[in-house]
Amino acid sequence: MSNRCWVQSTALGVVLAVGLLAPAFAAAQAPPSAPAKATATGAGSKTQSSATAKTSAIPRTADGHPDLHGYYNFLTVTPLQRPAKYGNREFLTPQETKDVFQKGLQSAFEPRDGDEEHYGNELFNPNSVDYDPTTFGLSPWQNGIKPNPRTSLVVDPPDGRIPDMTPEAKAAKARPVAPAAAETVDLAGSRAGTVVDGQSYVVDDHNGGGAVHADVPLDLGYGTTCVSPGGGAPIFPGEYNADMYIMQTPNDVVIQGVNGFRVIPIDGRPALTGNFHEWHGNAAGHWEGDTLVVETTNFHAGNTFRGANPKTLKITERFTRISAETIEYKFTVDDPSTWTKPWSVILPLSAENGPLFEFACTEDDYDAVNILAGARAFEKKAKEKANEKTGVPISQK
Amino acid sequence: MRAALLGPAAALFLLVFLLLSVTSVGGQTPPPTGAKAATASAPAAKPPTPGQFPPYKPPRTADGKPDFNGFWQAFVTSDIDVRDHDAQAGPHPETMGAYDQWPGGQGIVEGGEIPYKPEALAKKKENAEKRMVVNVTSDDHRHDTGDPELKCYMPGVPRANYMPFPFQIVQGSDRILMAYEYARSLRTIYMEANEKAIPQKSPADTWMGWSHGHFEGDTLVVDSAGFVPYTWFDRAGDYHSDALHVVERYTQVSPYHIMYEATIEDPNVFTRPWKMSFPLYRRMEKNIQLVDFNCTEFVLDLVYGQYSKYPKK
Repeated sequence: MSNRCWVQSTALGVVLAVGLLAPAFAAAQAPPSAPAKATATGAGSKTQSSATAKTSAIPRTADGHPDLHGYYNFLTVTPLQRPAKYGNREFLTPQETKDVFQKGLQSAFEPRDGDEEHYGNELFNPNSVDYDPTTFGLSPWQNGIKPNPRTSLVVDPPDGRIPDMTPEAKAAKARPVAPAAAETVDLAGSRAGTVVDGQSYVVDDHNGGGAVHADVPLDLGYGTTCVSPGGGAPIFPGEYNADMYIMQTPNDVVIQGVNGFRVIPIDGRPALTGNFHEWHGNAAGHWEGDTLVVETTNFHAGNTFRGANPKTLKITERFTRISAETIEYKFTVDDPSTWTKPWSVILPLSAENGPLFEFACTEDDYDAVNILAGARAFEKKAKEKANEKTGVPISQK
Repeated sequence: MRAALLGPAAALFLLVFLLLSVTSVGGQTPPPTGAKAATASAPAAKPPTPGQFPPYKPPRTADGKPDFNGFWQAFVTSDIDVRDHDAQAGPHPETMGAYDQWPGGQGIVEGGEIPYKPEALAKKKENAEKRMVVNVTSDDHRHDTGDPELKCYMPGVPRANYMPFPFQIVQGSDRILMAYEYARSLRTIYMEANEKAIPQKSPADTWMGWSHGHFEGDTLVVDSAGFVPYTWFDRAGDYHSDALHVVERYTQVSPYHIMYEATIEDPNVFTRPWKMSFPLYRRMEKNIQLVDFNCTEFVLDLVYGQYSKYPKK
């Protein structure tokens, strides 16, 4: 279900459907306070790690815990995996940090298909045919992005690379590629897809995920059909809408993403039993010193991070407030049936002004209608073309 | 005889001893207040009268406000009809049998009737007749017909509060969140009167409203507007326009009950404001949590079936 380009187009479609007000409004807000400084201070050193974080003055709640409450942005141009040229180097120099950031901002906001190394200065493909994101307030500079001195988001293993997948996970992921375009219907440019044997519309997902059908609604995947709720574990940026809200009480922490939320008990209340398979998994939190630790297991099939196995995946998230402007967010992905060893990511959450707006995904899912109806139109056109060739009498057309 | 006389005395001694030990055990783990413990052990004078609660002072949050945190649920059948209604067969008794028959129930509308304008009453009746018509298009008419509940859309306000599902109130100092199990809807109640970043009026229309709250004594008052005109109050087609304005009052009347009251105002549809009220009950299961009711998954074929390669006739 790694049908990524359609997931993106859904989010865009819904943003458009709600009238473009949300991004425009967010862009109009002034940043809370000198934000770029806050994340860039650690450049070139290792002082950003959570171990030394406690020294800074951080806001606290009445019960003495760090106050995590607020709105945060986690958009990034930093690659998930470390490009080979950096080797085992964890941090960029201040000049490199600046260069990577500037180059990211100058580019249009569309990832090059399927190559997650090309986040950062190579992520944003100005030749994207999909849309011009700057038109919709979706380019990075319009979304409160901050510089990050890290060479990659993956911090463990030390080479900054996601460990190898297990053989069984590789085998499970393999899917047939869409057939070559024998009957390409040129209605909508390069991504128009193919009508196979004049019968069924198929598009390649351009992310190595293989052939994607649009015969029935669930063919579009849980993302495009708005079945999959956002806001789950881990917090990880897409190309836009990387905004979130944290609310904290002595008993619960609520993590609200743009589309979806989690209520996480942090007071030791009994968690749901393993008989549940919640869309956000089964989460429980606790404090370890000044770090909020949230452990999540029992994920729902088809709704796991990077296609992990819902039965064996455990995600451990650590929220450490390192300044008034920044939460250091670290998550560890542990799924022995998918990856040969656990791996960890550090992603800064940067304070921004709220509010978050309601995201009516199911209610305004125009994409599901348009993609299905479009596929039927492609098929109809292919059938007409085939009929022309074979000289079907007009009466039977 | 002597032994016989000693028997009752020993029994009395034992009884006193037992009573004392029970008291001392109770004393080791004191309940929140001594007064409550005393009343709890004495039998109530008479069974409670429905609708009446003895005076009650709710617990407080760290910042001194009445504490509404917890899991709550209404036990009315008003999602079917906010007015008095008889039990009725569901849409498919021939296959669904008793699984899908709708219970009768007493209305929650003050005075019994909703003060519709004449033309609006006609629209309500049309809504009821077409409540199961699904025609989700890719234009502005996608929300024209049918009950939004059928399509797993966010239920709106106040309907979310009397859907047959629990919701959780998470109360902070400057926000109160209401997280609904049904269709994972979320309301944010902004509690600070002049928070700079929060617009007074909704910047865009919403399904669950744009809500500001404040306390009047121990009552939480929530003022909501900025609604889309697409949500309904019930399956009976009761509806509103985008001029809907809802003022809700949440008052804790016991450790286990909130009296809920909503005043509904919409000059496009009603001749005057009207009220509904019902109790919310605290869910007391020791392991209570919201679980998923992600109904979008269950309605995909219903909602988008007309665009499927294999449409059902």
